[in-house]
Amino acid sequence: MLKCKEVVQRADALVDGTPLSLGERLALRTHLMICRHCRRYVRQLDALTEHLRHQAPDAPLGDDQVDAILARLPRRPS
Amino acid sequence: MSESQLESPDFVERLRRGDRAAFALLVKHYHPRLLSTARSLLQPADAEEAVQDGWIAAHGALARFEGRSTLLTWLTRIVINQARMQLRRHGREIQFDPTEDTGDALAHRFRGNGHWRTPPLTWELHGPDALLTRNELKRCMDKHLGAMPENQRLVLELRDIQGLDFDAICNILEISPSNVRVLLHRARTRLFQLVDHFQETGEC
Repeated sequence: MLKCKEVVQRADALVDGTPLSLGERLALRTHLMICRHCRRYVRQLDALTEHLRHQAPDAPLGDDQVDAILARLPRRPS
Repeated sequence: MSESQLESPDFVERLRRGDRAAFALLVKHYHPRLLSTARSLLQPADAEEAVQDGWIAAHGALARFEGRSTLLTWLTRIVINQARMQLRRHGREIQFDPTEDTGDALAHRFRGNGHWRTPPLTWELHGPDALLTRNELKRCMDKHLGAMPENQRLVLELRDIQGLDFDAICNILEISPSNVRVLLHRARTRLFQLVDHFQETGEC
């Protein structure tokens, strides 16, 4: 039987979708079925990583800024 | 322009031939992410400089880009190298091997038998309650991210914020998948601990 501490160690793999062996999956499932604390941990860790994903910068750079960067490049002989 | 268009063989070929319009598109779409990566290691102004230097280095090396990784992976690696060079000039070196054991931020919450001593509280990061404290939590997270060891912060940035896969991160940092996972676990448990504490006390 897995201990809670071990479930927390393995929760990253669940959140990351890392393939687990059948034995590992079964052990996790059994523990999570009976332990609401660990269920809560896994659910909230998943929410936390989801939250972080939305912090990613997604707006492209403005054309002026692009031009400023290109202006500093050495001209390649063409 | 989407990531798949930027990574397409035709587009890469245009870049290799020195097509300036293609390079401008690359800068336009990847600069924000590269800057975010550099900021995991450097102060904002230094991060800008590292990415700018990275573009110059990439521009000079593109003709030799072999496509063994994605452009984004290749560029991220270049920017991280620029950032490390800057740090080295200030006498600082970053280790990506998680050798020093800062431990697990949740370790104190377990009993000796491995069961929870202080189980996690119930909280949400979305929904009405979360909206009320959104700004405070954001500030608190930023503060804790700032205080995190650089190697943990960078791995969290690459994996959880930018969503790069483990292979790419191993390739960029030249460390094993198990080391990436150790750093990521430490970073995540730190943040988990902070959110839990924030929800309980309303304090950072």
